[in-house]
Amino acid sequence: MTYFPRKLKVFIRHFFLTSFLLFFLSAVAAANPARYGGNLVLSSTSDPKSFNDITAKETSTTTVTKYIFEGLTTLNALTVKVEPALAESWEVSEDGRTWIFHLRKGVLWNDGVSFTADDVVFTFNDLIYNDDIPSSSRDVFTIEKKIFKVEKIDDLTVKFTLPVKFAPFLQGMSQSILPKHKLAEAVAKKKFNFTWGLDTPPSQIVGTGPFKLASYRPGERFVLVRNPLYWKKSKEGDRLPYLDRIVYLIVQSQDTAMLKFLDGEVDAISLRGFEYPLAKPQEKSGDFTIYDSGPDFGSSFLVFNQNTGLNPKTKKPFQNPIKAKWFLDIHFRQAVAHSIDKAKMIEILMNGLGYPQNSDMSKSAGFFYNPHVEIYNYDLAQAKKILREAGYYDRNGDGWIEDPDGHTVEFNLATNSGNSERVQIAAIIRHDLQSLGMKVNFLPLEFNTLVTKLNSTFDWDAIVLGLTGGIEPHFGMNVWHSSGGLHMWYPMQKNPATAWEKRVDEIFTLGVQELDENKRKILYDEFQVIVSQKLPLIYTVLNSSLDAVRNKFGNLKPTSLGTFHNVEEIYILKDGP
Amino acid sequence: MLRYIFRRLLITIPLLLIMSFFLFMVMKLTPGNFYDSLKLNPQISPETIERYIKLYQLDKPLLVQYFSWLTNLFHWEFGYSFFYNIPVAHVIGGRVWNTFVLSLASLVLTWGVAIPLGIFAAVHRNKFSDRLIQLCSYVALSSPSFFVAMLLLYFASQSHLFPLGGMHSANYDQMNFLERFIDVLRHAAIPATALSIASIGALQRIMRGNMLETLGQQYILTARAKGLPEDRVIYSHALRNAINPLVTIFGYELSGLLSGAALLEIICNWPGLGALMLTAVQSKDVYLVMTTSLMGSVLLILGNLFADILLARLDPRIRYE
Amino acid sequence: MNKKPLSQSQWTRARLKFSANRLAVFCLVLLAIIHGAALFADFLAPYAFSNEDRTFSYAPPSKIHLRDEHGRWRSPFIYGRTITFNEFHKREYKDQIEQKYSLQFFIKGDPYKILWLIPCSLHFFGAKDDGRFYLLGADARGRDMFSRLLHGAKVSLSIGIIGVLISFTIGLLVGGAAGYYGGTVDDVLMRMCEMFMLFPGFYLLLALRAVVPANFNSVQVYFAIIVILSFIGWASLARVIRGMCLSLREREFVLAAKTMGLSDLTIIVRHILPHTLSYSLIAVMLSIPGYILAESSLSLIGLGIQDPYASWGNLLAEAMGIVKIKFAPWILWPGFFIFITVMCFNVVGDALRDALDPKSRRT
Repeated sequence: MTYFPRKLKVFIRHFFLTSFLLFFLSAVAAANPARYGGNLVLSSTSDPKSFNDITAKETSTTTVTKYIFEGLTTLNALTVKVEPALAESWEVSEDGRTWIFHLRKGVLWNDGVSFTADDVVFTFNDLIYNDDIPSSSRDVFTIEKKIFKVEKIDDLTVKFTLPVKFAPFLQGMSQSILPKHKLAEAVAKKKFNFTWGLDTPPSQIVGTGPFKLASYRPGERFVLVRNPLYWKKSKEGDRLPYLDRIVYLIVQSQDTAMLKFLDGEVDAISLRGFEYPLAKPQEKSGDFTIYDSGPDFGSSFLVFNQNTGLNPKTKKPFQNPIKAKWFLDIHFRQAVAHSIDKAKMIEILMNGLGYPQNSDMSKSAGFFYNPHVEIYNYDLAQAKKILREAGYYDRNGDGWIEDPDGHTVEFNLATNSGNSERVQIAAIIRHDLQSLGMKVNFLPLEFNTLVTKLNSTFDWDAIVLGLTGGIEPHFGMNVWHSSGGLHMWYPMQKNPATAWEKRVDEIFTLGVQELDENKRKILYDEFQVIVSQKLPLIYTVLNSSLDAVRNKFGNLKPTSLGTFHNVEEIYILKDGP
Repeated sequence: MLRYIFRRLLITIPLLLIMSFFLFMVMKLTPGNFYDSLKLNPQISPETIERYIKLYQLDKPLLVQYFSWLTNLFHWEFGYSFFYNIPVAHVIGGRVWNTFVLSLASLVLTWGVAIPLGIFAAVHRNKFSDRLIQLCSYVALSSPSFFVAMLLLYFASQSHLFPLGGMHSANYDQMNFLERFIDVLRHAAIPATALSIASIGALQRIMRGNMLETLGQQYILTARAKGLPEDRVIYSHALRNAINPLVTIFGYELSGLLSGAALLEIICNWPGLGALMLTAVQSKDVYLVMTTSLMGSVLLILGNLFADILLARLDPRIRYE
Repeated sequence: MNKKPLSQSQWTRARLKFSANRLAVFCLVLLAIIHGAALFADFLAPYAFSNEDRTFSYAPPSKIHLRDEHGRWRSPFIYGRTITFNEFHKREYKDQIEQKYSLQFFIKGDPYKILWLIPCSLHFFGAKDDGRFYLLGADARGRDMFSRLLHGAKVSLSIGIIGVLISFTIGLLVGGAAGYYGGTVDDVLMRMCEMFMLFPGFYLLLALRAVVPANFNSVQVYFAIIVILSFIGWASLARVIRGMCLSLREREFVLAAKTMGLSDLTIIVRHILPHTLSYSLIAVMLSIPGYILAESSLSLIGLGIQDPYASWGNLLAEAMGIVKIKFAPWILWPGFFIFITVMCFNVVGDALRDALDPKSRRT
């Protein structure tokens, strides 16, 4: 076996780097010629499922496509403001419903064809709003069942007409634009759903982004190379991007990925709390830095089934009315909220590197985050007291508590078995609820089965789950609006079942049409307080977003929205002699 | 012989069909399908999911679904992977090769180590070295491959001697042929070793037994009596006869080439069929599961057939009709 | 293969030959100890399988002291420990000198039932006054690894034994029938066996596991796994038994039984199968490890026995992460137990074969 000692390997890398740099010295006329070249090696836990950004269903696909495609706007991860991308500027009418975008001049697709308004119109009218193409973007750009009207004014001007006001519109315009000249034929033949799958030759995947796809080996890696035609220039006038290549290794086990990072094979990794003690002491020797950018986005919670609806097929309630009565009882939920041992969860699962979560928005959401919500301390005595006062106590001395009607409090607690962290959280919750006298049966389920229960059969009692999140509260509409499919505790209601759910519905309807940011914040603040008081979701803990990055990149500005969000500006530092 | 092969294949095909139908039903009748997992994404509407179901005919009766898959099979269309959104053949293609590489590496390692070890042990029968080898063989024979892999991975993480999982380095594309070869070998070292340990133990014991038996035969005694040097007795006379019976075992091992390493592939992150199969089963990606297991079966059948034919060739007493 | 029924003297000779193999006898004793420990796991383990104390997350094995901080000798005791996280957020447990817990035999603890019958709360050993005694360290939620290993042995070993018994019953009957009747029955039954052997075992295991309804509780999953393993395992045995019966059915005693007008089932069960006994015994010993390993593999990838219940496989699943092994190497214990058990079964099985069936050394 050949095995290069570490130092020798580094030497070899430097040698190659310098020769690349010399090459670019002569090839590129730029203010910082030394910044060009080099590879960024990252890891991903799963294969992309396609290269088709429109039909993409999961983050493993957008991991690739985010480098290849761009939208009219982009969200600056540092300032959390919307900035121009393919559109240079825009105007909005006074009623907030007509938007005119002026496209950037001289933008080329990476096969050399010019980017025009036709591509934008094509992306919206022929792809997103095409009934034959399943796309999650359509849901975002449909308001009250009405779609946007998208028209070309001239080659570099596009007009959007909205059915109603839509506050997160500009953020939504970061939607990737796809090339008409490459895809129009497939759409005409109704074959778009199968185009740009994993079997497509990389050169056929055409975007305007800073990188383009060079190769893909299933289960192993994909490689992106610099797009020499990319429009963006640095402040100094350099044509971006600086990097030659981005290599993604597909490493299913996060554990292995982390060790590959420590071994120097991968340049950056997102650490989990319990890995910190292994990585931190090696910061110096491994020449990397760990950036802690606060709590993660998203949420992790316990939810009870409060569905009082009738199953139309069997004419029986979805949820056993005896159980529904407990779960609808706010005292019951408060008692449970008092039995979530967040401190120990953070200790056990994250080695202390996590945050308790109290309401819907993560602290990292910044502007819309409301810290002044109801907080429930871990206090089993208090929980017991609440239960006792509400009439739940052990009446017959069998060790389990009964409700006022004499039924033993017994229910199933499910979670998805694939997620070890969630399984541990559920197990901890179960243990504490048992000690309150509730008979809790733990049921780790395969993810798909869990979702079936949550969405179609509604035959569940309690579930520990998580949702992804972001900085825009409106994108949680599906969860919070009482008609939403992800309104888990009682989905798809015709009319809100409770007064507070009615109020939350109002807030979301008002919020999306309110263009004044501060007024929006007041609305969503109220929403977060309601959630914390009424506890439809009983929140648990959030991970710290920890990113370990090798100390070799210039312009690196990690945030909780991403470490390499400004990948086109990032370059490799020429360190030492 | 040809008639025998033909008849055997003829019997096998209906069995394969029954079994694949059984598997298909198993996959289909269990609750939950792939699109359920999409439903948790707040930005996908139920209408979108409905459209997907239409697209893949998931709403047709099961028999229709099965037979449409079956008829397509004869046109070399293995169905569509719902998870990857491309034809199953493309998903499996590269991975078959990877699995094959790992299995082959392990096969070479097993035979390369076990045969000489067996000969050595037989020649040094009941000496200390033989006993040591027999003891180690017992230990090896009983080591669960997954546990060996876990230990090896742990030691690799401490020693930095071997890469931890995967099949290629990041800069594989920039390597020349020889470097690529070495790179793959280094990556295969841990899973192949873990996979081979138990088989080395077993094969070594068989080889030793065979060798001992041959060495006790009359003609060996005669050869020795004739005064042939011991080396020649062992290596040119005894060895050939001792190895012959092993050829069938080799045939059977070939049959496991595509399915034998599945668990280790999952543990060692080897980009083969094993991990693919696991996620496919979990996400109910029916056609992917069907095709992968069917391929495994076909190889199993061919391997067994090959072994039987070899056996017939080597042992004149066995005759197939 | 020995196709003659073993006579009394042959059994005696076999027993003598077996006892001459010291390694095999040692392994047999070891197996007896392991199985006995599993049977009385509730009594031998200081804690119940679900007994957790979160303040002892990944606590290393307790150090047993005989002298206190002043150097005075006293009966064995352990110090109380508290957790701190150091600058690298690594767990560090510090002994609390003022908290001392004596270790004792026959101590009161978690209630259980002896052999599922008699309620009891006496444990073989443990620490007094709520002290946490971790003989082999603790897992993530502060559960005692030693206790869980014993409780896990109950599950893993019983899956092996019950699984083998079921598939052997099926295998014996099917193989017996096929061999006895021959002809069409033989053809149909053997095609059925082949069908099961056509599919790669691990793939079949995965696919069948997907059939088990998701809302099964742990006990139901346990039985489901046994059924699946037997379902996959019976075919290969049936084929071998069939081969033996095929030759046996022409023998005089079978023909004699036939003329006496005994029913076919009686002939198969009473007169034919006993002659396969010696082979069966060997095969049982040699196939149990396969069942134990299959359960471990399933649990290892999260498809087997689920927490809070313990099996060796799901205990080892915790050790899948290298980071966890690094900071808590004691989570590897289940792997060693699997290894030792499998090895004992192999050694004993091999020795049995030598003793009972000396001619078939090389199969």
